[in-house]
Amino acid sequence: MKKRYILNYDDNQHGAIVARDGAETMVQVDGGDLTQVNFRPVLNGKAISIRFGGRLHLIHLSNADGNGSVKATISGRPVSLTVMDELRAQALESLGDVTESGTIAADIPGLVVQIKVTVGQVVHKGEPVIVVEAMKMQNELAASTSGTVIEIPVTEGDSVNPGDPLVIIEPEPGV
Amino acid sequence: MATSKTNRKFDKVLVANRGEIAVRIIQGLKEMGLGTVAVYSEADRTALHVLMADEAVFIGESPATESYLVADRILAAAAETAAGAIHPGYGFLAENGPFSRQVEEAGLIFIGPTAESMEVMGDKLASRRKMRSSGIPVVPGTDEAVTDPEVAVGIAEKIGYPVLLKASAGGGGKGMRIVRESGEMASALRQTMGEARSAFGNDAIFVEKYIEDPKHIEVQVLGDGQGNVIHVFERECSVQRRHQKVIEESPSPSLTPELRMRICEAAVQTAEAIDYRGAGTVEFILAPDGEFYFLEMNTRLQVEHPVTEMVTGTDLVHAMVKIALGEGICYRQEDLRQQGWALEFRLYAEDPGKNFAPSIGRIESMTVPQGPGVRLDTGVYEGYDVPIHYDPMLAKLIVWGEDRQQAIARSRRVLREFTLHGPGHNLPFHLWALEQPSFLDGSYTTHFVENEFDPADWLPKLDDGQAEALVAATALFEALRRSGVKAGTEGRDCSPRNWRLNALRSMTGNK
Repeated sequence: MKKRYILNYDDNQHGAIVARDGAETMVQVDGGDLTQVNFRPVLNGKAISIRFGGRLHLIHLSNADGNGSVKATISGRPVSLTVMDELRAQALESLGDVTESGTIAADIPGLVVQIKVTVGQVVHKGEPVIVVEAMKMQNELAASTSGTVIEIPVTEGDSVNPGDPLVIIEPEPGV
Repeated sequence: MATSKTNRKFDKVLVANRGEIAVRIIQGLKEMGLGTVAVYSEADRTALHVLMADEAVFIGESPATESYLVADRILAAAAETAAGAIHPGYGFLAENGPFSRQVEEAGLIFIGPTAESMEVMGDKLASRRKMRSSGIPVVPGTDEAVTDPEVAVGIAEKIGYPVLLKASAGGGGKGMRIVRESGEMASALRQTMGEARSAFGNDAIFVEKYIEDPKHIEVQVLGDGQGNVIHVFERECSVQRRHQKVIEESPSPSLTPELRMRICEAAVQTAEAIDYRGAGTVEFILAPDGEFYFLEMNTRLQVEHPVTEMVTGTDLVHAMVKIALGEGICYRQEDLRQQGWALEFRLYAEDPGKNFAPSIGRIESMTVPQGPGVRLDTGVYEGYDVPIHYDPMLAKLIVWGEDRQQAIARSRRVLREFTLHGPGHNLPFHLWALEQPSFLDGSYTTHFVENEFDPADWLPKLDDGQAEALVAATALFEALRRSGVKAGTEGRDCSPRNWRLNALRSMTGNK
């Protein structure tokens, strides 16, 4: 068994190979040597104790979404990682870059308290367009791009969840 | 005094709050052998305070305005459970004069000050006037509410920018904004009034001179309501973001013994001026020139009370309950000493890198460090869903050391051991703070975060060994998880834990 993974965190990409040979597990990181590692799942499967570079590391890991989005904490430092097997990484890369989105979406659950723009209005990047209240804080969300507002799928008083589109702007680079 | 003693008996207390403070109070009450009643909203059916109390009463829908802020529901819950007293905690109805009056009129004991004290101190405008007349220095500013941006601009020009807009009914850092020039006034005033209206139901705003590079020093006091007041020394709370405290410590590294004595005496005078009853906190601004000004008095148990408890060996919840029972103040001023140093780190569900925006979600896993000098006051547990309806503070980590240096070193150790997966949180922010020179030498001011914090470059760095270990461990973790899924589909026991354990056993060679 040999698996290749592409991992991303903090804007860095890393490659890792996990191989099993009988009872031994071998790991290769970023093109280094494929070496046997001593590791042990601990804390009811929520952490891995691993000996690496001459010392022991206790790394807490969780994968809440069942996809390749992994949260880790090492020495009090939280790290969000995405993990893909190599084939999927290659397939995504061939799709190319996506253009800047003109959709302003909720990043936390909350209540729409004020909509500052109307459909058809021209807005500039950075201009406040909508106010969402969560945990007693009013958060002004700004236009992510300059352009024309083409749709506002919410009204004041609506409850919104993360990812819900709030204001959709058709990007117009000249504006 | 004798009559108040006989009238003020109770053996069961309703805690009109939620989260870590409700848990803390329930713990204190249990230690005193008193019965405990929790109240909860729809969102809090399985909250920790509910699980810990002897009895729990449902009081309404999730928004606080339909549950924790509804005085009648709290009183009905007290009647239903025959509770003899109500402890309000902090926030919600803790500093609401009409509520405490209603409690007393219903024949119950309110564990806190009188409605009159709250009303004077809860109205920042009234408290400014009261303190000015008692000879305690106050920050230059206006004594009237402002709603018109042009009027506010006029006042600001008279006292000089920058100015602070403050909700007269505000507290806990909410409903405050700095305005540095006239162009910012209209939008700042509108937003502050909006927040004040939604948080306090009162949009009266006043304008105060903003003291540059201030330190925030506060003094814990205890009063018996008969004119006797003692202080339990100071706390420094200068690490703030959005005017809300994040790290507090006691003692303050900024006070000389002489200044400490003066500021503690001013606090005692403040509380004496209103015959204060219960635990309270007098907040001061300390200017760079060593002058201090009365800021406000919080007529409640404060979030950061544990640092005081850690350095003085007191229990402020016990003290409040004894005062409410008519037993007076259980400490004598001359017996109180500050021993060692304590730091409190507030654990917020928020993302420091995204302007400290609140975050929510399920607590997937939480590993709480232990060891000498460590205390965690928490309202959450593994598997708990952090609701959106309330303040994002999840817990408070309090660390004690023999001196400031040891307290800081111990805090680093503890913060590195602390793991929380689920919502975004600010534990690494605290590790960041503990590396900053101005924090380490104690010279930090309330501008610490805005001056020193760079959202693009603040996370503690991983060394090469850690980074490699992280990549290896994550790849192993995913390999185990994915191979486990396959094992499940082959018809074996496919409960997640079992497939994971099976996969782990086969990979590590453990049987």
